[in-house]
Amino acid sequence: MTSFAAFGWLTEGNNLRFILEGFLINLQIAVVAIVLALIAGLGLALLRLSRNRVVSVVTGIWVDVFRNLPLLLLILFLFLWIPTSARDTWEDVMPSWMPEAWQSGLMLAGLSGLVLYNSAVLAEIMRAGIQSLPRGQSEAAQALGLNYRQAMRHVILPQGLRRMVPATVSQLITLTKDTTLVSIIAIVEVMRRARTVTATSGNPFTGGGTEAPILEVFLFVGLLFIIFNYALSRLSRRLEIREKERSGSKPDIEVRGLEEQVA
Amino acid sequence: MPFAFVDTLTENFDEFLRGFGITVQLVVVSFVIAMAVGTLIAAFRVAPNPWLQRIGGLYVECFRNIPLLVLIFISYPGLRRAGVDISAFVAGVASLGLYTAAYVAEALRSGVFSVSKGQIEASLSLGFTYPETMRRIILPQAFRTVISPLGSLIIAMIKNSAILGGSILALDDLLKTGRVIASRTFDVIPAFVWAAAGYLILTGLATLAIRMLETRYAVKR
Repeated sequence: MTSFAAFGWLTEGNNLRFILEGFLINLQIAVVAIVLALIAGLGLALLRLSRNRVVSVVTGIWVDVFRNLPLLLLILFLFLWIPTSARDTWEDVMPSWMPEAWQSGLMLAGLSGLVLYNSAVLAEIMRAGIQSLPRGQSEAAQALGLNYRQAMRHVILPQGLRRMVPATVSQLITLTKDTTLVSIIAIVEVMRRARTVTATSGNPFTGGGTEAPILEVFLFVGLLFIIFNYALSRLSRRLEIREKERSGSKPDIEVRGLEEQVA
Repeated sequence: MPFAFVDTLTENFDEFLRGFGITVQLVVVSFVIAMAVGTLIAAFRVAPNPWLQRIGGLYVECFRNIPLLVLIFISYPGLRRAGVDISAFVAGVASLGLYTAAYVAEALRSGVFSVSKGQIEASLSLGFTYPETMRRIILPQAFRTVISPLGSLIIAMIKNSAILGGSILALDDLLKTGRVIASRTFDVIPAFVWAAAGYLILTGLATLAIRMLETRYAVKR
């Protein structure tokens, strides 16, 4: 058994930089996906709360289906289902200064899968956030003569969305971990790069002439995620506490997030 | 077109059923591991000894923040290359089990903290030892508050089990079966829809079961 101190490969050639840059791609994917998922999720949450029965029920089914499916199933399905022409279009549209991983048409499938799943999860968090507001808020808005739209925009959403900030940060942690799944459809990010480093023939891109031990390489990759996500979770905790202080000592009606669900 | 959907299911029913069974197996075995390890870690985290607390905390932070896929690479090709002869199934359930154990530990811990401190003090002053207090006074009460977070974890586990089949472990679970059938028959949509239906059945059943437990053990006030 190799010794656990065998991290010499890190300093060989460009290995360290090669892996760190791969990790950066994961973070980029996570940020882009969370922004798109927040926008789509807000739309879904509003449709879900719509007063039109049909719209609300249909959206409810959509949300429940997509948040209860394995993310990897969605990604693999989109990978097989999205036509090559759409991938080609993506590749044409992506400017050449974008990182290589983003120029690949596969990213379309990976990103859509992440957004499809996370928008459903976030929609549920937002709905809970909005519905956790005391009824009096919307009644007061109505009494002041605001219509539904105005009440949503000026009274309900600003308060409801504030409450879901901590839950969103925890979702971002999950999302960061989930970005590794796109490696399964051959998008080159940290997992693929780590495998390149461990390739038996040595790494042609970085000039590390020898193969690196798989165990140590992935322990290192794991460590990157642990450090980053630990920092994020601390941030989330702090936001939660601040939110509690800000809203007085309003006890636990706030969104406990699907924090435990995320696993 | 609708017939093509049904045909995909009927013609490959045995295969789908087998994949479904393997997914159930993966989830059940991983859940047992997650509960056992999670309980131990939770006990560490609420133990009076600060070193045990630290070890528990470290476990939770590590396994909660690492991607499951990385754990799989560590436990299967990583350990195998390092000379440990581990099977894909064991590596898979160990990864999923240990990963979920961190969340289980957190759920149990917050459950324990939901029981008021007075209960512990009362119990200790009545002459119960610390382990006795835990087992007889605190845990039975904590169990109630823990049902719904544990339920969400089971649902998350069902979804995460797909990563075992989709990754290099290549276990023949439901997702893998759907994938194989899709590439063999070129009926991509039906194959994936039926696999998805299998997952929705599992998550749906889990949701129902949790709801029943919640009503059954609800505190009657």
